[in-house]
Amino acid sequence: MLALLLILLGCGHKPKPVQKVVDLNIGSDGDLIAFRPDTLTCPTGALVRLTFHHAGRFVSARHNWVLTHPNQVEALSKEFLDNDGVLSKDDPRVIAATPMCDKGETVMTQFIAPPPGDYPFLCSTHPEDMRGILHVTK
Amino acid sequence: MKPARIAAVLTAIGVALLMASTMAAQLKSPDDAKTGLKLLVQVSNDFKRQITAKNFARIPHENMEYQEAADALRSAIKDEPANFKAKVETRLKASVAAYQKVSDMSANTPDVDKLMAEHGRAVAAMNAVFELFPADLRPDPNAPPRRPGGAPQN
Repeated sequence: MLALLLILLGCGHKPKPVQKVVDLNIGSDGDLIAFRPDTLTCPTGALVRLTFHHAGRFVSARHNWVLTHPNQVEALSKEFLDNDGVLSKDDPRVIAATPMCDKGETVMTQFIAPPPGDYPFLCSTHPEDMRGILHVTK
Repeated sequence: MKPARIAAVLTAIGVALLMASTMAAQLKSPDDAKTGLKLLVQVSNDFKRQITAKNFARIPHENMEYQEAADALRSAIKDEPANFKAKVETRLKASVAAYQKVSDMSANTPDVDKLMAEHGRAVAAMNAVFELFPADLRPDPNAPPRRPGGAPQN
């Protein structure tokens, strides 16, 4: 009887798929206006916890990390140049973004990795120079 | 002039040129110097972008960053011989003053053409700083932004 009960309970209770968690670290290339590294990789569907460190020592340029969809980076870049890097809330072109970061600081964001593909990321205050690619794998 | 004297003068000039090039090639922190020079170009290019985009209010901030980049270069050459540092400082001060002028103009005369002309003069002052450093440390002011993997991102 007990065995039957356990079987019944077991059948009706599917184990939850475990959410894969990926930690990614990226920073500025010292004071230079560039990401280091400028390519990142994660699997699709993973919970990505991204940490950005502003490794500058001299120049007070602020940076952030903004992930966008393929084919959106140029339009977004132009807009950032025109509006001084202001990131509007709930912009559908933005998949994820960290807060703005001063030199020596570290900021974080997390997001679910999108479908497989190459997704550009950029700094909204240096959108032409500071770019990279997130490779999302199957 | 006697041939011996001419030879002596030419030798002296040759030795002086050799010493200058050797000193430049033997910077104690060439990577830091290269970074400092690259920072100046990056900020200068940002100046230009803000002028073109008519973000005049942003230009004083770029000017502050130029001064910080100049400090980065000073820090990079702090252990170099005094005469080299003095030469760099003279030209660096002139370039900082030139970018300050662009910044001041952006508040008083927010005119893209006039600001671009003044920016051009500031770039010339910056290039005068670069001339004091070995060619392999000087950044290319016209180099396109680096793209990861060399591929276009759009």
